[in-house]
Amino acid sequence: MDANTSKRLAFERPVIKKINAGMPAKFGHQVRHEPISNINGVSIPSLLKDYGSPLFVFSEKKIRQTYQNAYRAFSTRYPKVLFAWSYKTNYLDSICRIFHQEGAWAEVVSGFEYEKALNNGVPGDQIIFNGPDKSIADLQRAVENQSLIHIDHFDELYDIIEISETSTKRPKVAIRVNMDTGIYPAWDRFGFNYENGEAWEALNRIMHAKQLELVGLHTHIGTYIMSTEPYKVATTKLTELTLGLLEKFDHSIQYIDIGGGFASKNTLKGGYYPGTDTTPEFEEYADAISSVLLKAKFRNNNLPLLILETGRALIDDAGYLAGTVLATKRLASGQRATILDAGVNLMFTSFWYDHDIRPVSKVTDQTEETIFFGPLCMNIDVIRKNMMFPLLKKGDHYVVQRVGAYNNTQWLQFITYRPNVILIDKKDEVHLIRNKETLDTFKSMEVVPEFLKSKG
Amino acid sequence: MGTSTNWFYQGVLNSYSQIFFSDNRGFSYILFVVSFLDVMAGLLGLLSVLVTTITAYGVGLSHHSIQKGYYGFNSLLVGLGIGMYYSPSLQLLFLVIIAAIFTLFLSVALEGVIGKYYLPHLSLPFVFGLWMLMLSTREFYALSLHERWIFTLNDLYVIGGPYLVNIYQWWNEISIPVSVRAYFLSLGAILFQTSVFSGVLIAIGLLVYSRIAFTLSILGFYGAWFFYLLIGAELSAVGYSYVGFNYILTAIAVGGFFIIPGLASYFWVLLVVPMVAIVAISLSSVLYIVQLPVYALPFNVVVLIFLYVLQFRVRNTESMSTYFVQRNSPERNFYAYISYKQRFAEHSEIPLSLPFFGEWVVTQGHNGEYTHKSDWKHAWDFEIADNDGLTYKNKGDYPEDYYCYNKSIIAPADGVIEDIVNDIPENIIGTRNLEHNWGNTVVIKHSDTLYTKLCHLKKDSIKLKIGDKVRQGEILGLCGNSGNSPVPHLHFQVQTTPFIGSKTISYPLSTYRRQRGNQLELIEVGIPEKGDKVSDIQVNDIIKKGFLLVPGRVFEFKVNGLGPDHVRWEVKVDSALNTYIECETTDSKVFVETGSAIIYLVHFEGDRNSLLYHFYLSSYKVCFGFDSGQILHDEFPVNQVFTQANLLLQDFIAPFYLFKKATFKLKYPELNGKISPNELVLNSEICAHSFGREKPVIHATTTLDIHGIKSIEIESSIGRVTAICER
Repeated sequence: MDANTSKRLAFERPVIKKINAGMPAKFGHQVRHEPISNINGVSIPSLLKDYGSPLFVFSEKKIRQTYQNAYRAFSTRYPKVLFAWSYKTNYLDSICRIFHQEGAWAEVVSGFEYEKALNNGVPGDQIIFNGPDKSIADLQRAVENQSLIHIDHFDELYDIIEISETSTKRPKVAIRVNMDTGIYPAWDRFGFNYENGEAWEALNRIMHAKQLELVGLHTHIGTYIMSTEPYKVATTKLTELTLGLLEKFDHSIQYIDIGGGFASKNTLKGGYYPGTDTTPEFEEYADAISSVLLKAKFRNNNLPLLILETGRALIDDAGYLAGTVLATKRLASGQRATILDAGVNLMFTSFWYDHDIRPVSKVTDQTEETIFFGPLCMNIDVIRKNMMFPLLKKGDHYVVQRVGAYNNTQWLQFITYRPNVILIDKKDEVHLIRNKETLDTFKSMEVVPEFLKSKG
Repeated sequence: MGTSTNWFYQGVLNSYSQIFFSDNRGFSYILFVVSFLDVMAGLLGLLSVLVTTITAYGVGLSHHSIQKGYYGFNSLLVGLGIGMYYSPSLQLLFLVIIAAIFTLFLSVALEGVIGKYYLPHLSLPFVFGLWMLMLSTREFYALSLHERWIFTLNDLYVIGGPYLVNIYQWWNEISIPVSVRAYFLSLGAILFQTSVFSGVLIAIGLLVYSRIAFTLSILGFYGAWFFYLLIGAELSAVGYSYVGFNYILTAIAVGGFFIIPGLASYFWVLLVVPMVAIVAISLSSVLYIVQLPVYALPFNVVVLIFLYVLQFRVRNTESMSTYFVQRNSPERNFYAYISYKQRFAEHSEIPLSLPFFGEWVVTQGHNGEYTHKSDWKHAWDFEIADNDGLTYKNKGDYPEDYYCYNKSIIAPADGVIEDIVNDIPENIIGTRNLEHNWGNTVVIKHSDTLYTKLCHLKKDSIKLKIGDKVRQGEILGLCGNSGNSPVPHLHFQVQTTPFIGSKTISYPLSTYRRQRGNQLELIEVGIPEKGDKVSDIQVNDIIKKGFLLVPGRVFEFKVNGLGPDHVRWEVKVDSALNTYIECETTDSKVFVETGSAIIYLVHFEGDRNSLLYHFYLSSYKVCFGFDSGQILHDEFPVNQVFTQANLLLQDFIAPFYLFKKATFKLKYPELNGKISPNELVLNSEICAHSFGREKPVIHATTTLDIHGIKSIEIESSIGRVTAICER
């Protein structure tokens, strides 16, 4: 090929940039966003072509890798470790089943999630039932299936005692304990408080209600905890309750459930450093929790099982949202705006994360401060404010990293249909794991009364 | 009541077969009949046994010994001996009773005296007992010598008329070689019989009891036969044939009963038998002075000396092993020994577990390429690796980057802290401290000759002090990077002496999970090699609940298609602290060995038409933890699976060649990606192999749920059996 026939350089839009002549900023001048052209070797443009835009993509490899890292971090420190997959974080059946294949139980917080877990083949006695919303029917089913019921409030405890009086099965219960672990805000709306003695009150009532079997203790100190110290405090307090039960009732509980709340690598809004640099590793959380348990004076070295319900940190990294730029415009203020085909309807998490948005193909080294809007006809639909980003144009593709947690459970069917979700398996083969919505989806749920059906 | 009479009955019967070290029922009947060939002597023999058994029970001696006939057989011989010698009279009756009790006392006394040296009393009580009587009764004028069988034909005519006399004549006219005749006479002489006929009956009994014992009896006899030829005497000569049984009993004892039969033991028979001959001839000439026969003394003397000598062996020899548990038959001892060796030979007396939590990888094994050389070659280095095989994150520039760093190191077995070093500073990655080669170290004493050493721990992480007792699993310290350690790792070695720097020994680790390449396996006992990923067995509560056989546990089954409709098993412990499951309904027992997270069923005795027998087959080995679809393999002692008829040929040549095999295969459920369900199905298959041809015999399905064993289903030639556990 000679120079005349070689490919022409792509057109780059002119950009005006202020030159700082003085000292460079601490992190230098330039912000670069390395393009992500493929996920596990599967090209993103081809996925968008086959499955439509926008598109949620999950990597099985990444899920298993993350799970195994987490499991290794705990199991090499403590001999009895169990993970329970937090359904609310992502209850797409395929995702749940991957975790179950890896050995995780199910942690659910509603009758709906409970049914999903059963449907995914989880035996009833390997479901942990959390949360404040458990109907009588839900509780009856959980008792019957010998699920682990984590009691949230006294009213629930009374319900269970009442059920136990007529049931042939002995309910397996634990209480959720809330406590001051030195973090703000201290979550005190779930479970029974440690400091004011409410937790002991609940434990006393359970121990005196002979029909109930107290199998464990549970806490969930918060979410996105960026420090390991609170876990030490929480574990210490649960350990004290455990040893107290042993002393007072000569009762050994089977497990201590530390809940979740481990941070993922996303950057919280307002964070100065990126999440990849600041969030603790599984190793650090594991060290904090297991060191307390191993030092505790459990009788005959009879250590309780350690259950973890971490959701976000296990799945966030494995989820991607790929899509297409709808348009770019300049706002009245002069700021550049990029309109994407996925908004807060699909990325609920953009309310609290500064999401890591990347171009799919290399566009230019030049960046410009831009705001990312979603496609909704709503003012709040902002994916990210003020990001230095290369200049995209209509039809260019983008991909958002770390969207695996909460988005597929909290997404909104608002204004438009929800898109396909695909999974790239271990062999890099692509599977559709959730169909995009169509008009029929809604027609199948809605009922139009007869009198509104005729034209006129 | 039913069991106590049964037990008494067994004690009496076994007293007959015990003369040949046997508890075979058929053999007992034959010997019983033979003893009654002289009705009077037979009756007195039986009386002796009854008196002995009742007295032993009354005195409160061990049930087990009485039941096995250990006390009865000497009295039986004394009774028979007197009966053969004297005419029946009231006085004789009384004398027999006294003699029986006296012989029992001799048995117990000898049991106490030579039992200390782990020697059996054999038939010494009989020899001494009968001597005493022979010597003393010369003064008892009320007794008269009997005259039976002096005029044989007359006596026969009285019993069976001309018909019997004819048979006897015909029998005597059959031409059998002299040596064969002498062999039968020698066998008969054991019960004081003087006819070839009784010898033939006993030989048949011996064959029924044990093919190996039968072979040995011939080997012993002909060994002696040729020795006599060599020294210019003849064994067939009158006066020699009644010592002939000494060679037969010696051959059985040395060749197959007290020693596991094999080429070596057969060879030793040929060396020991001439010794018996020499002892017999020499003792005879001494005892001639007091006019006493030697009876079984030569056999007793030589066998006891031989067994005693063997106890002084300091080197473990493969051949001439003694039995672990006396199963009262050379075949049973042999097959049990082979199976035991196959299953447990490599097991260690003090099992060592992995000294850490979770999965670690061996980065240097025995005879390693870095430091595990010469005196320190039997050691392991362990680290933790991620899915990419890396032992660190980031760039691995800091100890904290290494996954194993700061992880708890735990005691591999119970013991006492022998030595501690806790103040060696941590190395910078890539540097080594050769001055303090082992770094921070814990040495644990597990027994006087077994120590383990764990090195390169983190400075100041050891919170124990010398003399502290530790239990398996207790935390010793944290993995660090001290001593000759460029990157954080754990050095683990086993040694026989307590010093830091002691040389290592090859000692295996017990019950762990090993991933080698893509192969995931349960290792009962083994030495991890470089690259192996090893971790503890994760116990499955459902399996553990089903198979944890603690004394006192009771199982009740409703059975369909086999034996009684309802059986009850109880886990018990005997006086030797062996755990066993007993089914009283079918009088069957299964002996159990429990390892860490694994059970082995080691021996079955009783009724093969019982559920317990099928449980023994189907749950021969069960590990409490498993990976999806995992398979366990093992082999049975062949006599536990094949019928006796099926093994006829194999029995004869068993000490030299095994062409039959019975295998066990246990398959755990495929989880297919599900979490461990609350109902588990274990499938076991028992196959019989002959000359390499495999034939499935039994297929069993054991269903377990959270309450333990739920049901057992068996498919075999006897049809389909279902047993539902009643809980």
